[in-house]
Amino acid sequence: MKCYICKQLGKDTDAVAICIVCGMGVCMEHLVREEIEVWKGDYPFPAKKLKKKIPRILCVTCYEAYQEG
Amino acid sequence: MLLKRCLAEVVGTYILVFFGAGSAAINLMIAHGAAKPNPFNIGIGTLGGLGDWLAIGMAFAIAIAAVIYSLGRVSGAHINPAVTIALWSIGKFPAKDVVPYIVAQLIGATLASLSFLACVGPNAALIGGLGATAPFPGISYGQAILTEAIGTFLLMLVIMGIAVDERAPPGFAGLIIGLTVGGIITTIGNITGSSLNPARTFGPYVGDSLMGIDLWFYFPIYVVGPIIGAVFAAWLYKYLSS
Repeated sequence: MKCYICKQLGKDTDAVAICIVCGMGVCMEHLVREEIEVWKGDYPFPAKKLKKKIPRILCVTCYEAYQEG
Repeated sequence: MLLKRCLAEVVGTYILVFFGAGSAAINLMIAHGAAKPNPFNIGIGTLGGLGDWLAIGMAFAIAIAAVIYSLGRVSGAHINPAVTIALWSIGKFPAKDVVPYIVAQLIGATLASLSFLACVGPNAALIGGLGATAPFPGISYGQAILTEAIGTFLLMLVIMGIAVDERAPPGFAGLIIGLTVGGIITTIGNITGSSLNPARTFGPYVGDSLMGIDLWFYFPIYVVGPIIGAVFAAWLYKYLSS
């Protein structure tokens, strides 16, 4: 799979990941990898933040959309 | 952080007692002066029969659902010392948090009754009793404890099945537990007042005391009955599901 964004720019770069939101193949240059906090617990137990976080990979477009809320 | 969780318990129990017990007080005030059909009727049921109790049960149900969905992830939204003790008894709640939670629940209930008194005025206590619970005419102390134990047994059994059990479907706890309490109140409301919760009785008792009404003789009913019922339900469910 090739990086979709690179392809639009006329380059031919291999994708190294897929955006979890839109499914776009992205290269290292066009991905954003974040560590997402995970909470466990609901009634009747208080929710606790787990020590381990879950990695999330987004393309730049989806990342910016998330940042805008 | 324990302080924040305790504050959530204060707020949750406040909502429960203000709106739940408050609905019982308002019902008594609405029915005040109406002819009561029999000595077993203290006023609740005079206007709409068992429908009066269903209305009170629904006030509790909605308040409980609101608290569970809004504060459940913060403190666990026990809003009931019997639930806290039952969860501790089966190792699902840390021992060091039990007393702070119970103190918070009692504070929340007391603040609710006092603010209800401030909102409605002296008749909220003198006529409505601030929605306090007491055995109804002809109901003995022992019968009242047994009734409260059975009612709280059902409440805790549902909590275990719909919320504590990890196999339970997510998202239903508030709705089902609220409706369960509403159903229990409809049935046993005219026997003991259907407290199911020592804090729910404690708050109105404090408020009534300030107005010269002493009901503390009955308080052990609403401590012993709910705790026995809740602990038994928790252990039984633990055994059945193991």
